[in-house]
Amino acid sequence: MLILALSDAHIPDRAIDLPAKFKKLLSVPNKISQVVLLGNCTKSYTLLKFINDISPNITIVRGEFDNTHLPTTKKNRAKESIPITTVLKQGNFKIGCCSGYTVVPKNDPLSLLALARQLDVDVMLWGGTQNVEAYTLENKFFVNPGSCTGAFNSDWPIINDEELTVNNPDQNKPEDLKSSDVNGSNVPSFCLLDIQDSVCTLYIYIYIDGEVKVDRVVFKKESQTGQD
Amino acid sequence: MSYSETLEQALSTVKQQAVLMQRCLQQRRLMDALRHTSIMLTELRNPELYPKPYYELYILIFDSLSILSTYLVENHPKHHHLADLYELVQYAGNVVPRLYLMITVGSSYLKCAESPSEEILKDMIEMCRGVQNPIRGLFLRYYLSQRTKQLLPQGAVDFNVNFIVTNFIEMNKLWVRLQHQGPLREREQRTKERRELQILIGSQLVRLSQIVDDNLSLYKEQILPVMLEQVIQCRDAVSQEYLLDAICQVFPDEFHLATLDALLEATTRLNPEVSMNKIVLTLIDRLNGYKDRTEQEGTKNGGASLRDLNLFQNFWNYLSNLNEERPDLPLQHFIPLIESVMTLSLQWYPQNLQNLDALYRFTAQKCQDYGKEVPANAEYLFQNLLTLQNNAALSKLDANFYYKLITQCASYRDLLGLQNVLPQKSILNSILEVLLQHTPLPGGESAAENQSDASSVERGFTVATKVDLDNLLSIFEPLIKASSPDILPDRKAVNKALANDDVADEDENSWILDLTQENLAKLSHIIMRSVSQSGDPIENIQLEVEILLSLRNWLYKGGKNIKYTYPAIITNFWKLIRKCHLLRNRDSQNEKQYSEFVKQFFKYVSRSINDLYNVCGSPLADALYKLNIQSASLADQLSLGEIAYDFLSQAFTLFEESLSDSRTQFQALVYMAQSLQKTRSLHEESYYELLIVRCTLHGSKLLKKQDQCRAVYLCSHLWWATEIALIGEEEGVTSDFYREGKRVLECLQRSLRVADSTMDNVQSSELMIEILNRCLYYFIHGDERETHISVKYINGLIELIRANIKSLKMEETTSSTIQLAEHRLDELHIHNAEGTAKEGNRFVIGLDGSYIDVPTGNGGRASVTSKLNSIHLNEMIQIPVQHFNRTCEYIQNQRDVDDRFKVITLGG
Repeated sequence: MLILALSDAHIPDRAIDLPAKFKKLLSVPNKISQVVLLGNCTKSYTLLKFINDISPNITIVRGEFDNTHLPTTKKNRAKESIPITTVLKQGNFKIGCCSGYTVVPKNDPLSLLALARQLDVDVMLWGGTQNVEAYTLENKFFVNPGSCTGAFNSDWPIINDEELTVNNPDQNKPEDLKSSDVNGSNVPSFCLLDIQDSVCTLYIYIYIDGEVKVDRVVFKKESQTGQD
Repeated sequence: MSYSETLEQALSTVKQQAVLMQRCLQQRRLMDALRHTSIMLTELRNPELYPKPYYELYILIFDSLSILSTYLVENHPKHHHLADLYELVQYAGNVVPRLYLMITVGSSYLKCAESPSEEILKDMIEMCRGVQNPIRGLFLRYYLSQRTKQLLPQGAVDFNVNFIVTNFIEMNKLWVRLQHQGPLREREQRTKERRELQILIGSQLVRLSQIVDDNLSLYKEQILPVMLEQVIQCRDAVSQEYLLDAICQVFPDEFHLATLDALLEATTRLNPEVSMNKIVLTLIDRLNGYKDRTEQEGTKNGGASLRDLNLFQNFWNYLSNLNEERPDLPLQHFIPLIESVMTLSLQWYPQNLQNLDALYRFTAQKCQDYGKEVPANAEYLFQNLLTLQNNAALSKLDANFYYKLITQCASYRDLLGLQNVLPQKSILNSILEVLLQHTPLPGGESAAENQSDASSVERGFTVATKVDLDNLLSIFEPLIKASSPDILPDRKAVNKALANDDVADEDENSWILDLTQENLAKLSHIIMRSVSQSGDPIENIQLEVEILLSLRNWLYKGGKNIKYTYPAIITNFWKLIRKCHLLRNRDSQNEKQYSEFVKQFFKYVSRSINDLYNVCGSPLADALYKLNIQSASLADQLSLGEIAYDFLSQAFTLFEESLSDSRTQFQALVYMAQSLQKTRSLHEESYYELLIVRCTLHGSKLLKKQDQCRAVYLCSHLWWATEIALIGEEEGVTSDFYREGKRVLECLQRSLRVADSTMDNVQSSELMIEILNRCLYYFIHGDERETHISVKYINGLIELIRANIKSLKMEETTSSTIQLAEHRLDELHIHNAEGTAKEGNRFVIGLDGSYIDVPTGNGGRASVTSKLNSIHLNEMIQIPVQHFNRTCEYIQNQRDVDDRFKVITLGG
């Protein structure tokens, strides 16, 4: 079962669209069974339509710029509130979802671990940092898909290149300033989780220099030991 | 002699007579053969036959007559003289068979070298006048044309042209006459029949083109004028439409180029029913073909003089004449013509916007002369004209083209302004889509990164001046100002929405997914990315901010719509701020200037946020609160503590005055704590202390106790800075972290008091466990002398939680045996996650205290609620029980890696 994790699109406030190559990759109907939006993805009609075409099974958690309720549509007039944390079930995994804007300190592994413990989950998906990350801690898997658009990041800027100033001032001309430096975010990225029973294979897609690169990380859930 | 009743009979008679004719020919009984031929030909007299069956008969007979012709030629003059036979067949009884025989014999005679060909041809064509029935006459003349195809006298071009033109004219007359035969109600049927016959007339034009070959002066002086005259004189719409189209198709395109004015002039003198546009389009197609061909050849031959041709002028004159001579011509006919001429201009002079400007001015004038609003059935024509959607693919019209069209053609904007409201919006929306589509950059990368999508890279436009931008945005004003439901297609909804406009829903939920506003926001990003760049970074920034301010002014006209568009504006100010900051480090000469910019731009941000608040009010307060906080973060990163403090104060004001919903308040406050914890430049003037105390105080005053408790324990982090690796901080290395363990402990103690006083036992226990987990966070983080979170404190807390859980379990309704069993298992301290998961572990509590109903099936979504009914009491009790178990398990596991955990007593 494939779960797509997208976060921090910030369309149209800060970005126009996903990279075309991402969209092409994702435009395969009936492949992905569930989509998780980890914040700041609910203000664009075109994005939501695009996601709905990938899979109508969408789970949303609230990012700081999402409204408290989902925008109503013609089909769905009911005002559905967006939770800040929720849990999914897939295979033998319970998956916690949180945009991360109410996690203090922000992006702190121990705080996230406490949250995972509170939610009793094996996998914790979070967002809100515009930076793709995946690690294992205390037998739990932590995944942040980063921003799918590489949108402007108002937090401390992420430095993509090594600072050139020190080594070679000549290379540091004003006109060489990159828009990615201005945005202060990492390159666009998203994650796919392929879950089979107790194995979760994570595919990390990043868009760099006009190309899509894929990384693969496997997380196995250790079976419950002893006691029974 | 008479013809058969049915087609079947006729065909069989023809076949039969053909066999007999051939047998007679084999026996050299020519007279008998001619008699059979005559019987066969009688079938062509049938006036009842429709064109198709008639054609079927004709084909069959034609083949037989070919056999006869071959015989006649082969046996001349040995067995007969064709001159004699030509005389002889004149005595055949009926006119149709007689003329077919005459032409057969006459054309056979033409094959013989000594024959007086011009005389015979003249005679034959003269005699054809004898048949005036349209269908019979047309086929007879077609027969004449087919038989004489290869036999026209060599070198006598004038004679030959005259011969074919005469035949063509006569055929056309017959063809037109067919329309007026029979009763009026069969008019449609007649037209249909005529269309079936048109190929016969067309064949005459093909013949002419073969004769003319590449002789332009012959065509221009002798053929075209006569043909056009005939076309005009016949006044028949079907004929005119077909013949002009055929002329355009049949003759070489360079001829059309040389006779353009004559052709165009002819189209102005046609029957009003004729679709002139179709003809003009055909002509333009041909001219485009010519252009493509000569350009291809030109690249070989080293350049063509195409550019010198001012075709547009021809068409322009044509339009002007037409306008004068045919003031009656309705818009529905005129607009497609103008579109056709645009097609020409786009193909031949793709860079020339003046042509388009002239055409749009002309159309706008036409529109104004019309005096009334554009009629509904012409709306789509204007839409075609203004979106150029029929040309977009062919002429590769890109965002850059539309940008230039809009910004440089004043008349384009005028014409757009003359459109009715709904079609105008639809046009604007499609233009907006085009402007967005072709811009290659998805959010946040430089152009170079997208080079792989090569086709779209060069398509972007460049915003060079504010005037251009004003021109561009002025056309979008109706969209900027549109009230949201306007984008819905049905008019009813629009009217309804307009009526309700004043009493619009004032809460945050009035926010809808508005595609138009979304696209305008995206356009803002594209415009900002497209601002032209010079070599001087300072000038660039100046132009960018000028453009951005202008953009903001335009969007401001949107009233409440700015809630959709202003965030994009603010983002772009932020980007400029960070850009200036980065440039300041690279361009040390202008350091001061950049610092000035940064300060100024923060003011613009502040103004934008205030505008949003003044126009949209408290429904937007939560978003504005966060925009203030993020602006503060940005200022803090640039070490602008004072500015950061101002934005944070603004945020607090919003919190105090405009955030009323308790859920929103809680999340907002936690977000404040998260952001404050990451600041580094607020320590001057004790801003930081002021702010974190204010934040914690607000936390302790939240409406619900559980919110107070969570907010306060989270605020404890405000006294415990953690590393920000991005700026080089490192736990254990960095020595000047802002840390005051005493305050941390105070916060935790305070929140524990609130937890303890919470009436709901489940929440109370859960909160204590959450606080325990916070304590563990600090316990891991440092020595208890620094954190003030001691083992003793933790052990005390664990004991308290155990006591609480114990009393909580007393509340369990123990009627069910399963629960009883579970209870016992629990008593025996057997913590089996799998076992209890079956029943008890249904809910967990989220970050904000909401109950999450964990799905049991694959792919399921949890339902999340803020309140649970006591029906679920047993399950609710399990929430803190299980959370506590997990926490204990964690402590146990930590003992393996950290000895200090060994002194934590899990008790029980």
